[in-house]
Amino acid sequence: MSNIAGKSYAMNVVTPAKWYLTWLNKLFFGFVQLPGGAAYLKGLLTLSLIHYARWAIVSPKQFPHLDPSQPKETIKYSYMFFFSNFNGSWAQYVDSFHTAIPGGLDLFWTKNVKYPKSVPLQPFHAYITYNQVWTNHYYNAYPLASSNDVKNAQHLSGKLRAFNDVHSNDDPQDFQQAYNALLLEVQGAISIMEPTPIISLSAQAVEERLSHESEVNSA
Amino acid sequence: MSLSGLLSVLKILFIGGIQQLFNKLTGKKSPPSAAGLTILCPIINGSCGQKSYAMQTRQYLQDMPLHEESPMAKVPNTYLCRFYVLNDVFYEGAPAVEEHLNSKYIVFSSNYYGDLDTYLTGMWEHAQEEVQKIWQHAVTFDRVQNAADFVAYIKRCQVNNSLFFNGSTGEPLEEQLKNLYLKQEFSRFVYEHQGLKPEELQCAFKAFIARTQPKNMSAPTWIAGAHKEIVKDS
Amino acid sequence: MSTHIDLNDIQGNIVKGYGHFGYPKARYIFYRIKECKAGRQFVQDINPLITTGVAWEMTAQSGENSAPTATTNISFTYQGLKMLGVSRLSLQSFPEDFAMGMKERKDILGDDQTSSPQHWDQIWQGEAVHIWISINGKSEDVVEKRYQAICDILANTNQGVEQVLGHTGDQGETNLPYQSASVIYKNGKPQATEHFGYRDGISDPYFSAASGNPDRVIGGGKPTRGNPATKEGWEPLENGEFILGHRDEAFETPKAPQPPLLAFNGTFMVYRKLHENVGSFNKYMNEEGKKLEGGKELLAAKFSGRWRDSGAPLTQFPTEEEAKAFGDKLSAAEKKLYMEQPNPSAPTVAAYTKLRQQLVAFNYDHDLDGSRCPMGAHVRRINPRGALEDGKTAFNTPGALVNRRRILRRGLPYGEVKDESSNDGNHGIIFMVINASISRQFEFVQQQWINYGNDFKLANEKDPLLGNHNCQADGGGKMILPNDPKGDKPPHFCAGIPRFVETRGGDYFFVPSLTALHMLAEGIVDPT
Repeated sequence: MSNIAGKSYAMNVVTPAKWYLTWLNKLFFGFVQLPGGAAYLKGLLTLSLIHYARWAIVSPKQFPHLDPSQPKETIKYSYMFFFSNFNGSWAQYVDSFHTAIPGGLDLFWTKNVKYPKSVPLQPFHAYITYNQVWTNHYYNAYPLASSNDVKNAQHLSGKLRAFNDVHSNDDPQDFQQAYNALLLEVQGAISIMEPTPIISLSAQAVEERLSHESEVNSA
Repeated sequence: MSLSGLLSVLKILFIGGIQQLFNKLTGKKSPPSAAGLTILCPIINGSCGQKSYAMQTRQYLQDMPLHEESPMAKVPNTYLCRFYVLNDVFYEGAPAVEEHLNSKYIVFSSNYYGDLDTYLTGMWEHAQEEVQKIWQHAVTFDRVQNAADFVAYIKRCQVNNSLFFNGSTGEPLEEQLKNLYLKQEFSRFVYEHQGLKPEELQCAFKAFIARTQPKNMSAPTWIAGAHKEIVKDS
Repeated sequence: MSTHIDLNDIQGNIVKGYGHFGYPKARYIFYRIKECKAGRQFVQDINPLITTGVAWEMTAQSGENSAPTATTNISFTYQGLKMLGVSRLSLQSFPEDFAMGMKERKDILGDDQTSSPQHWDQIWQGEAVHIWISINGKSEDVVEKRYQAICDILANTNQGVEQVLGHTGDQGETNLPYQSASVIYKNGKPQATEHFGYRDGISDPYFSAASGNPDRVIGGGKPTRGNPATKEGWEPLENGEFILGHRDEAFETPKAPQPPLLAFNGTFMVYRKLHENVGSFNKYMNEEGKKLEGGKELLAAKFSGRWRDSGAPLTQFPTEEEAKAFGDKLSAAEKKLYMEQPNPSAPTVAAYTKLRQQLVAFNYDHDLDGSRCPMGAHVRRINPRGALEDGKTAFNTPGALVNRRRILRRGLPYGEVKDESSNDGNHGIIFMVINASISRQFEFVQQQWINYGNDFKLANEKDPLLGNHNCQADGGGKMILPNDPKGDKPPHFCAGIPRFVETRGGDYFFVPSLTALHMLAEGIVDPT
């Protein structure tokens, strides 16, 4: 019923692109997945706001046609479907892209019809808002965790298991020394996760509905 | 050969080919990891009572319970997923051409772990009732009778991802949840056990390990989808 | 890039932090407009008193300092603009943060528990105030004189405008007519600190129209990839981050209310009365300081990112000894500069400037693990200086996630601490923020960087000093003080951090240009 589930926001953007130009996008998408193209993804990874995101370019013929009873699509444009699962508010996300990796972003949306480019910000805001589809049901397996938390958890748990395997039966002095070394190794991952703070008016609305529901349920 | 046919060949050569070549050269085999499923399922044009099938589908989705109560919480290895009903495409204004879809579509986008057949089979097995309700007005879904039908059906509706970006990790969900649980519990542990004598520290740590069972993925751990901290004990 | 901004048209509080310009005393007075015409009359009559942004030394013809003995500025809430008869179309073009006001934004700001509006001063309990007026002065006497002049103007409105009472005072009063503020005096001498003992107001963003010393771009501008100790490491922030109608960091003119002349050269201001729980702070420093190797002063520095006495940045001066040596040199240079006033010699100025620069001319590239200055320390949170790029060259500019979140901080301490071991009383900071967008700048910093930690990969860890630590169930905030990964000392964990700072009131204001002030007074703000 909402774009928000805990610390994650579900963004859907559907934009038209001329069918022959979508190949350029596809080439670019192929390129960034190769070693030389990785630089384009470095900015995305460093932003560290995203769990998973994806782009799917669907040509008119690729719209699923399941049965003769279903009318065939008569559209001419191809459509790019963008899906993101990110931490923070809509504005934080869009603004971060705009300031941190505008070039990469513009390549992702190359040749989309009337794409205004990600700089300056206001036309870009308007473009995303206009082409965004609201999510009807959003599910997140870990509403308390950001993408940073998931990555930190993987790092910390690996080190913790290894430490326990090797050192749990050391003599106490050695144990403490190794334990301190463990803490230094995982210090960047030690933190407590709590429910998300309220970061926008829509997050506030979600929170109010939730607390209303739990009141009703407990009554 | 038509132009689009030519381009298809080019596509294989350029993208698939380069990628396959690269994988071959580096000996890279893709291990099971995070993956993205994107499907567009046409909804039957028409209505029942006062409501079109698309409206009914959307309302069902909007009213599904959230978080740990969501049917998707029952589906193994779902990291994050969403549903929306696509009414139409957007008209960007002149000089763009105005065009419209002839069907409305259920858009289901899931980020999951592992192989698609296993994932979809799990979806059918663990949330069959809700799956049947979500898709009840989708074109030809009435022919889906079992898990194999469901897998085949979804694959017909699948569209390829041009790019899947993993900004997180690619472990099975159970491991992600266990690791989150461990991170939380260990963070609490270190805050509560600072400055202990070596013997006391070791003793407390052993108790911590006995309680949290770091290698037991199934328990204790976090419950999938929980919007509050809920620990599943054994 | 040259910028043409008519400083005559900009209110002085935007470009000047009066506290740093030798105005140690202030009063903040609030009004409600009962009758539109009287409101306009009041604004018109106040207009000649308004201090502009013109640089004082520039207008000095005779070589004398042209600075006034007292300054006055004015701003309006959304309700205030409405009462002045601004049209609905124009009102609706204002951003929703401003239209809602601070009280309604409490969930976004984290003003909960002891900071929630029910605990605010009386003045904030009823309907919104309409007008904010500030007086800054070189002494209490000139402030009082200016105040009386404004009271006379108010009297002319025949109760068409009323002064709103209800500020809490030092003696337990709850209905004072204005909020006083002042630098803190110790043995009769003015201090640069706030009530926790931190040297305050060290770093303020530098933007093109700031009209101050261009050397201040170092540490005050936006980071480049150059050496942060030099001018190559910084560029001025765009004016539009702080003044509407000018280019901002998004390569455009910021979104602004209509008509353009109403917004042009104006900006938004946040006013917040923040109570400081001095007793809790001292108790925590004393107790937790015993557990930390390095003691209480190091702990205080780890919380803030700067050493309390000197303001020396922890990342540059990691030990108390180094910080003290630096602090001694800085205060000697300050003293020399002060003694040589009004015409200090060039070497004296240069020596002072060089030391002063060390307070701000740095980044965190050599401290990415936070073993010197923790990621969660206050100053690293509110101005990460490019540290969010994690030491990589991943973004268009190292300040990509920071340059749009800068705020100008204005204000002064208020009240007196009578008992260092008690939270009671009325003392804290009148904290004011100038920014082009309240939600994008002030609220973002408050919500994402003060009351949350994800941008620093700290999950829900909060700013140790300003964070809204839960004072109920789970027994306070937590903070990790990382240690050198190559060393053998484990990180230190601070638990049970109480809420040191509580909100006691405030609201959001629009600060019009002098032109717009004239238009408001004349009632000639027409929409398209």
